[in-house]
Amino acid sequence: MDLFNIPANELIQHLINGLTLGAIYSLIALGYTMVYGILKFINFAHGEILMLGTYSGYFLYYMLCDPTKGGSYVIIAFAVSLLFAMIISAILGITIERIAYKPLRKAPRLAPLLSAIGVSIILMNLASLMFGTKSKKFDYPFDNTPIHFGDASITPNQIMILVVGLIMMVSLKLFVDRSRLGKAMRATSENQAVAALMGINVNSIISLTFAIGSALAAVAGILIAMEFKVYPTMGQLAGLKAFIAAVVGGIGNITGAMVGGILLGLLETFGVVIIGIPQGLKDTIAFSVLIIILLVKPSGLLIKNRREKV
Amino acid sequence: MKRFTLLIMSVSLLFAFSCGKSGDKLKPGDTIKIGFLGPMTGDAGNYGKLMSQAVKIAVEEQNAAGGIEGHKIQLIVEDTEGKVEKANPAIEKLAGVDKVFGIVGSVFSSCSLAVAPKAEASKIVMISPSSTHKDLPGKGKYIFRDVMSDALQSTVFGKYLAQVEKVKKVAILYVKNDYSQGLALDFKTEFEKNGGTVVAVETALQGDKDFKTQLTKIKGTNPEALYVPNYVAEIAQILEQAKQLGIKVKIYSADGFSNPQIFELAGDLANGVIYTNAAERKASKGKVEFMKKYSSKWKENPDAFSLNAYDGAKLILAAIKKSVKKESDGSLSIDRAAIQKAVAVTKDYDGVSGNITFTAEGDLVANIGIYTVENKKYKQIKTFKLDGEKLVEIK
Repeated sequence: MDLFNIPANELIQHLINGLTLGAIYSLIALGYTMVYGILKFINFAHGEILMLGTYSGYFLYYMLCDPTKGGSYVIIAFAVSLLFAMIISAILGITIERIAYKPLRKAPRLAPLLSAIGVSIILMNLASLMFGTKSKKFDYPFDNTPIHFGDASITPNQIMILVVGLIMMVSLKLFVDRSRLGKAMRATSENQAVAALMGINVNSIISLTFAIGSALAAVAGILIAMEFKVYPTMGQLAGLKAFIAAVVGGIGNITGAMVGGILLGLLETFGVVIIGIPQGLKDTIAFSVLIIILLVKPSGLLIKNRREKV
Repeated sequence: MKRFTLLIMSVSLLFAFSCGKSGDKLKPGDTIKIGFLGPMTGDAGNYGKLMSQAVKIAVEEQNAAGGIEGHKIQLIVEDTEGKVEKANPAIEKLAGVDKVFGIVGSVFSSCSLAVAPKAEASKIVMISPSSTHKDLPGKGKYIFRDVMSDALQSTVFGKYLAQVEKVKKVAILYVKNDYSQGLALDFKTEFEKNGGTVVAVETALQGDKDFKTQLTKIKGTNPEALYVPNYVAEIAQILEQAKQLGIKVKIYSADGFSNPQIFELAGDLANGVIYTNAAERKASKGKVEFMKKYSSKWKENPDAFSLNAYDGAKLILAAIKKSVKKESDGSLSIDRAAIQKAVAVTKDYDGVSGNITFTAEGDLVANIGIYTVENKKYKQIKTFKLDGEKLVEIK
């Protein structure tokens, strides 16, 4: 059966491509959306935290082992590096919040946003300066030979990106909805002053939010780096796309980020394949979607319009 | 008070203008400035870094030899990030503020094409070490390049694939920049003229990392070969993703592939790729020496473009040397038109990149080499030249 004059197996391959691309967007979008959900503030430096976390993981990984040799030692080294990257990112996230955002917490909303963009530019250029602008290869710790079925194929890493995305989404959701700390986070999100009155340490809750969001960014960064290499600007466009994904799904909504990311990946792929949008205009799809969503349903697809209490 | 400020401002403005006019006259102790224009940061930063290091060596050599008439040479490196919107302010600075007498650059064709009119208008000789777009030398008489033209590269390769390798069906995947697009489209025209069929032409944007959509479409058209005339960051991704998708056809590329970074990024996947580049020209004595000097100074090896950049800088410096005049008041006047003339007449210059002769347009006279990669090492397998419309192999 040929749909849209495209052979079925080719269509399946496009579907896989779209899903894996979307999963990458989702991974990053989760971190965005979480910070926004708690602080109502878009952390535009999220992409750079991702990048620096990835670099730190990258350096430790290659210090510990030679990934081309393979074996179980490499997997252990990889796991250690991943953990290290998460810790570094978390520390970085907390530090950035303390230095660049906290003093602006009472300022008009535009101020922390601009501060975030500033931090993003500084970190990106700092990374170019320190690590050089060359792309660096992040070797797979496992055998990444693609799995073929019929004419289509998927690689183990792509499956992992999908699975990790799902696990991250579910555990984040459980954490925010069910745990005590999650409850404190939600309270902080509702009203910081009242939350403080209830005995919640607002500062440490905000730090925790940044720590978790940033640690997730490091995981996303390393998974992406294996697919697309490590380089100082790696957080930039991916970060922008992830931001769109988060808005599409309903920013602040954890399931929404996942859905928005996958949707965006699929739209980008099939917009080119089926509708025939020129490949050069691929990025336009994402931004058009952003505009349409902002016009039609600004709260995002997965958020029911709530009435503001007056 | 207001009037006073106004006065100060107009005086300083006047001063600024008068300074501008005397730019081509250097007081004793002034430096002679030349510029380098290329991506120093961003995805393509490595190209600019390697080339600017070569130019630095040329400048240091000149300074070690006493500069020119006692004036030290100063190199101004401007970063384009490989983007036109950054290249334009960079040339404005080099031409207006630094008043350089020559530029090595720009690196990418799109940037060179964008800055050429300003260089021409400011009478700055610009020698690009790497911009291969066919239209570049035609942009003015101050615009040169010591790298082979794409038109030549793609024409020869189109004929070569059809006539020598006898390939019938090729798919093309190129990135939308002047370099890749020029090569891809010229190749397509030439290949089809010689009886070949181009089954798919897919494009991507500069900076893209995911080419799976295009490659999946290409796979569906069953080509015999894939032509990817891009830079290494993209080629590495394409090689890897083509393998992931089970595309097993032969891969062809162009001189962008000659950056050794491909071996770090693509590893063994680089083996077997066939690409075009300028043929090794008459072996030069200086090359080995320069390579040694470069790698001991910068702890990395130069790419082919760096050799061109070094030669370009040498040509500019030699031309400046011929175009200076000591004035009676001790100043040094430099004639920009004379620099242009001195560069334009370059013939059989024994550079580290090989023998350099410029055409009347300012383009490099070159033969084309067909190269391949064996065990992560470049190797030239054949050499061709164009005799009118005919492809002639040079043995």
